[in-house]
Amino acid sequence: MFSLISGFVEVMLRKEEFHILVIGLDKAGKTNVVERLKTLQTDAVGLEPARIVPTVGLNVARMEAFGANLVFWDLGGAPGLRAIWDKYYADSHAVLFVVDAAARDRLDEAKAAFDRALASRDLGGAPVLLLGNKQDLEGAEGLSELAERFGLTGAAAAADARARGAPCTAQPASAHTGAGLSDGMKWLVEALKRSPRRRLVARAS
Amino acid sequence: MGIWMSRMLSYFGEKEARILVLGLDNAGKTTILCECDLPPAGTTAAAAAGGFDGALFLLPPRLPPLPLLVGEVVSTIPTIGFNVETVSYKNIKFQVWDLGGQTSIRPYWRCYYPNTQAIIYVVDSSDVERIGISRDEFHAILSEEELKDSLLLVYANKQDLPGALSEAQVAEALGLHDIRGRPWAIYKTSAIKGEGLFEGLDWLSTNLSK
Repeated sequence: MFSLISGFVEVMLRKEEFHILVIGLDKAGKTNVVERLKTLQTDAVGLEPARIVPTVGLNVARMEAFGANLVFWDLGGAPGLRAIWDKYYADSHAVLFVVDAAARDRLDEAKAAFDRALASRDLGGAPVLLLGNKQDLEGAEGLSELAERFGLTGAAAAADARARGAPCTAQPASAHTGAGLSDGMKWLVEALKRSPRRRLVARAS
Repeated sequence: MGIWMSRMLSYFGEKEARILVLGLDNAGKTTILCECDLPPAGTTAAAAAGGFDGALFLLPPRLPPLPLLVGEVVSTIPTIGFNVETVSYKNIKFQVWDLGGQTSIRPYWRCYYPNTQAIIYVVDSSDVERIGISRDEFHAILSEEELKDSLLLVYANKQDLPGALSEAQVAEALGLHDIRGRPWAIYKTSAIKGEGLFEGLDWLSTNLSK
């Protein structure tokens, strides 16, 4: 009887594990965003920005935050490595797409990569957060400009969200100061709990 | 007291890491080992790459492989057995084990698996014919219980040769994307020219100290 009750309590208290796919162009600050979140949300201290080397493969970060166990799959963003992103789509619960909002000359390239990712059937039903990083830099594109540029406003965006079965929103942030990161992630985890992807059982090897 | 002292010392001093260099025969593992060994501790990658002369590659590995197999005129001798070198880089003391890659000795790799923090898997990017075999060996390593926490660094080696696959193609061919639970990285290298090796060691030193 005791084991029955304790088992029940355990099941009730067990936090779900979700896989967050972190993608975006090279130099967008993906690894820095994840390391900063680690510092903000856990007892551990993330890597200093100076110690972060460009990711050429996969970084894995685990943290218990926002009422869930999150596993971040932080993938390299260099052009040659973007071909690998889609191999992770089917097993991801949600996407964190990081953009360097201050690199205005690369926003079109970022938009193209973003559109390609969202068009993938393997990401159907996965909520997407577009993180407009580097807001601490001068000339960074703000929320309304980013949302418009990436087509996240108006009726077309609503139709897109219905077609994909999951919402997509933009969030200005700065991995340097930490501003906006937790707000954005809170939204993403909430959106994911309401999405059809919640029941996705990802293979983790 | 002694334990306490040595803990204190290791806290301020260098960390040690045990690293295995694996890959098929003729992938270039031993050349990489000779190469990494050259700069003394503390030199930067740029200084190391520019600061030595190519003739050094023609020397056999400092520790000779166990039974020498002579016959081919190559810069290093196929390793039968293993070579061990200790390399200091970025405050980490890498103990690097270079194991022979020929079919008959691959089963012995597993004797070296316990307590390994990282694997450097070397691929001959120009050997398109055998990349499938390389993939199978790599996945066998991935499924080893004793290596489940080790970091995975892949060198897409021999980039100097014509027809060498790019790092993305090697990543795809090896099935690196099947790895979900631990970090991996791939660097294109030319061991013979000394290119790309230190970027990989930078990645290792960052991730080993996490």
